[in-house]
Amino acid sequence: MMITALLVAATIIAQPDTGFDHQVHARFFPLCSTCHAGVTESRASLWPAPASCAQCHDGKIQPAVRWQPRLGPSPTNLRFSHADHLAVYRRTKPETNRPTCSDCHTPAGASWMTVRRTVSRQCLECHGITADHFAAPDTACATCHMPLATVAGFTREDVARFKAPPSHKDPAFASGGHGKLAQPPTENGRSFAIAPSCATCHARDFCITCHVNAPETRTIQGLGPDPRSLAIPATFEAPASHTAADFLTTHGKESRRSTQACQTCHTRESCLTCHNGQPDLAKAMFTAGPGRGPGAQLTRHAPITHTAYWDEQHADMARSRARNCLGCHTRTQCLDCHRPNPGDATGYHAVGFLTRHPAAAYAREADCSNCHNNQQFCASCHQQSGLVSSGQLNPGYHDANRFFGAGHGQAARQSLETCVACHSERDCLQCHSAVAGRSFDPHGPGFDADKLRKRNPQMCSGCHGQAIPGK
Amino acid sequence: MKRSGRVAVLLLVLPFGTASAQGYTARVDVRGQAVDFRGVQLDSVAVGSVITGPTGGPISPDSIAVTCLAGATFCQFYRPGPRREAVPVTTGIDLTMWGLGMSGLSLHGNGRLFADFGDNNAWPGSVPAGQLLEAYAQYDSKGFIGRLGRQTFSSRLGFTGFDGAWLLLERLPANLQLGGYVGLGLADGVALPITSAALNPFNEFQPSERQLVAGGNLNWITPVAEARLDYQREVDRDTRNFVSERAALSATVRPWRRVSLSGGTEYDFSYGWWGTSDVTASYTEPRLGLSAGARHYRPYFNLWTIWGAFSPVPYNAVNGSVSLRPIPKLEVRARGERYWFENTETETPLVNEQDNGWRWSAGATYQLAARLQVDGGFATDFGPGASSQTWSGRVGYDPRENLRLSLDLGTLKRPLEFRFSDANLDWVGVRADWQVMGNLQLGVGAIRYSEDRNRPDNAAFSWDQTRIDFRVTYSMSSGTEWAPLPPARRLKTDR
Repeated sequence: MMITALLVAATIIAQPDTGFDHQVHARFFPLCSTCHAGVTESRASLWPAPASCAQCHDGKIQPAVRWQPRLGPSPTNLRFSHADHLAVYRRTKPETNRPTCSDCHTPAGASWMTVRRTVSRQCLECHGITADHFAAPDTACATCHMPLATVAGFTREDVARFKAPPSHKDPAFASGGHGKLAQPPTENGRSFAIAPSCATCHARDFCITCHVNAPETRTIQGLGPDPRSLAIPATFEAPASHTAADFLTTHGKESRRSTQACQTCHTRESCLTCHNGQPDLAKAMFTAGPGRGPGAQLTRHAPITHTAYWDEQHADMARSRARNCLGCHTRTQCLDCHRPNPGDATGYHAVGFLTRHPAAAYAREADCSNCHNNQQFCASCHQQSGLVSSGQLNPGYHDANRFFGAGHGQAARQSLETCVACHSERDCLQCHSAVAGRSFDPHGPGFDADKLRKRNPQMCSGCHGQAIPGK
Repeated sequence: MKRSGRVAVLLLVLPFGTASAQGYTARVDVRGQAVDFRGVQLDSVAVGSVITGPTGGPISPDSIAVTCLAGATFCQFYRPGPRREAVPVTTGIDLTMWGLGMSGLSLHGNGRLFADFGDNNAWPGSVPAGQLLEAYAQYDSKGFIGRLGRQTFSSRLGFTGFDGAWLLLERLPANLQLGGYVGLGLADGVALPITSAALNPFNEFQPSERQLVAGGNLNWITPVAEARLDYQREVDRDTRNFVSERAALSATVRPWRRVSLSGGTEYDFSYGWWGTSDVTASYTEPRLGLSAGARHYRPYFNLWTIWGAFSPVPYNAVNGSVSLRPIPKLEVRARGERYWFENTETETPLVNEQDNGWRWSAGATYQLAARLQVDGGFATDFGPGASSQTWSGRVGYDPRENLRLSLDLGTLKRPLEFRFSDANLDWVGVRADWQVMGNLQLGVGAIRYSEDRNRPDNAAFSWDQTRIDFRVTYSMSSGTEWAPLPPARRLKTDR
């Protein structure tokens, strides 16, 4: 029983995936053409009729089998025809009586009916190609292989099993090398629309996965459409230039120099992911649509100059190179901060700034007037908050310092912009006016009466009336 | 509606009716928030009613510290003020049109309409009801750009608004550009003329006519350096006196890759003194940004006010910042500044006030997962008038590509130098920003503030509140010319 089981197991193991074990049947068939008449006779079938198997496998002599010849197109992309090959041999080498079936389907020295699929090496040798299979010249591919788009017998799974040739592993292959390889070769008057090596495994749909400029690229149009080609995954690989640290700042110049190169992978939409409006270069790009790839999907990145504190450091650049800024920003974005929106709760400042703002304002950590009008913004809100004088100087607010009134000069000269958020000119003129006040001189370091008087004597008259000193 | 408002509406609406076959982009943006604030209220009590408090000082019968001047019959004090509730809602319209039959010609408009559904326009900036930020025609040709209409102009002298003409010649010999502008000026920091009643809350002297503003700039731009000279004057059209006359020089040099030196200075001809000046050296690479600089800050007042005659003194500062990305998922940042005010020549033995200070902050952002980000920061400053210490954090989560949820937490302390009012604030808030479709963005947020204004007397008060806000932005365009852009500013917790 054990021996039987081992024999059965051995039989199963030896059974080739064709379903028919030629060697087991070796003693029954002296000729290949007994079953494969179609090899030599064009009208006959390449496969035996199931009834011929049933002559032995009738369920009595031998177990019945349910073998059926393959229907439909052959699952191969080979141009091979037994009849053609025989005809050529018979015409060119009638004396050799070759080839025989064993020449191609039996390994050298093997016994009768040791059958295998033909290996590509044999094809190459007969056709005089000395290179490896994947290193064969482009024109040689077309000798044996049909373009994928014309192969009916392959499924997506068959296509997915294609092995990539070594050329595809070249680091430069994705970024441009494959384009050069795809250029159609010419040989002995034969012309191709695209390199046959590409067409063997790929179709136009595969190229469109990446190529935005597919409709404009002759080599891609040289391929037929075939969705099965999508079974081979295509991945975008950015060229080495894109990884340079300053790429964001230099890509504009580069793209002007080689717009066509950018058009390969980028659509107009990919430009507009970052750039606004319709910059000239974006106009030159193709828009995404049928027949084109979607293009590289970009994420908006700030240039490296835009560090964490760029918002506080951007002014110089924005003034001198405003056009640079407008490449990615709109003037509205400038106005969003520089003209604050009262309805906007997520403005420039962080959460809690309303409570913290006295510290920022007293010490002027920034120039508030770049974005806020003191009267409209500071004074009107302080007025709503009761933080303004009411026509006379009211003591008591600055109560942390008993003598603040007498010693307010230092605070005033240091933080005058803060004082005027609560105090009117009238408040100060109660003491500092030379006409109606107590004539306390407010002028301090750096005061140049002559300069001021020459430019605007009206300002002087605010305190001095008509009796402006030195006039 | 006032004349400026009518003009604003006309300029924004007119193009829609006349440009059916033209290219355009438009953005309609509605934002609103509900917010409380609370201040103080002046009160007084007869001298005879004042009692002595537990620390020996005078207090009112309801235990609020009072100030009594010698000889006065009443003592004054500030009690907690009423809550002011504000619900400002703003509708902003931004429009750009081109294809007007002349290559290079475009129209631009940006206006806002305001309404405050709270207490009497309590929130600053809510009046007048309409503001025209910009509305101009632009002609952009090879070699020059010209604008006519209401526009803003950015220079070292400020972010100036005016109604007038601006021209920039871009391709002069020797890498030079020459620009100039003239028009009727707007007030600083707002798209309103100086004659607007909204700019005179104290009912002070107000000019009757807008100022004439004119200026020019000369730019020198090369790949490794740029310099810019600005001049600007403003003239009172009524009295023909100067309102201001200033000049500024700014320059940036990039002597080596990743290294830049930038700086500039202002000079005020009216006062005869140097204004705000600075110089900064920066080193920037993808993982590291460094800067170090010095700053001289002097406030600017125009000649329509008397404030400049009070001799505001500048301060001098040194500062530095670093932002570092030690690993791709982590960014840390820090900055600091130390400053000293110049001598005010006002010393009195009665009062000892701060004349220098410092501020620094540090923060970090970590990408916990592809869609989860945390940010935390600490900021502190100490100086004249007030100080503060803030801890804050934010967790951002993107459950979908077009949806962002965030949680904000924080606490801050803010003592004042000249008044007993140590504010303590804690907050927790959530918000959601949703890109509903390519041209429609929604945002909504709610945040709970718990704030105490601490004092040793009964003028202390609590001011807890819940703020909510919303935002709807709808963009339109004649084609694919314009994609909705994300916010330009980075949201940081330690700002």
